[in-house]
Amino acid sequence: MRTHVFLAGLLAGSAVLAVHAQPGPTDPQIAHIVVTANQVDIDAGKVAEKKGSTKDVRAFGKQMVTDHTAVNKSAAALVQKLHVKPEPNDTSASLKKGGEENLAALSRLKGKEFDQAYVDHEVAYHQAVIDAVDKTLVPNARNEELKALIVKVRPALVEHLEHAKHLQAELGK
Amino acid sequence: MRAGWLAALLALPGLAAAATHIVTIEGMQFQPAVRTVKSGDTVVWRNKDLVPHTATAAGKFDSKSMAPGGQWSWTAKAKGRQDYACTFHPTMKGSIVVRD
Ligand SMILES: [Cu+2]
Repeated sequence: MRTHVFLAGLLAGSAVLAVHAQPGPTDPQIAHIVVTANQVDIDAGKVAEKKGSTKDVRAFGKQMVTDHTAVNKSAAALVQKLHVKPEPNDTSASLKKGGEENLAALSRLKGKEFDQAYVDHEVAYHQAVIDAVDKTLVPNARNEELKALIVKVRPALVEHLEHAKHLQAELGK
Repeated sequence: MRAGWLAALLALPGLAAAATHIVTIEGMQFQPAVRTVKSGDTVVWRNKDLVPHTATAAGKFDSKSMAPGGQWSWTAKAKGRQDYACTFHPTMKGSIVVRD
């Protein structure tokens, strides 16, 4: 009996906490975050594909366009199948804003400076997206197929991060 | 371990017919990373990822871009070990070992 009373108190307490805590994103919001995160990296990749001063930087940019376009194709197909309407939100808005600021900064650079800024940003960006996948997107996704898609994308993000770090080390030589 | 049994089984006389071996590409990895086959066998790479990949051993074989859900097959001839990689994703590496 005492245990039950204790548990009831604990549950009531956590319910109060849940009300006060920032609610996690809904599935339509998660869908919009996923699509935006990919699009931001596609846009930067398109610039690097042309402006990169080394073959490796241009190839990496091209790869980002290819892979993130492929991921967004799968995401669009799933969203359509699930009848989820991607909903803009604070997180996707800040991703978009960060992407625009990065493009503006890159437009003022060329040669080695461009390579360095692009690659540094790619390292930080992929790390941030992986963190968001682990801490926000996967824990909050309610639909199993949406969650599975995000889990399936994660290894590609990790590979891109490793690839970008390798380029970063090369540029630092 | 399982591959070892399979290789032992295939080495038995009378079971020498050419076999087909699958290498699954999933989670940005070739699985298994090392595949042992016999000369004349076929290896099929299946891309289960969301992004395109290649299986490329310079001067030996090159799948070119395999779309998500796509596959590519290659028949082993020359004996020896052939290390290959994905030309798109430098961290992805695998080997095919061709025996008699
Ligand atoms: Cu690959």
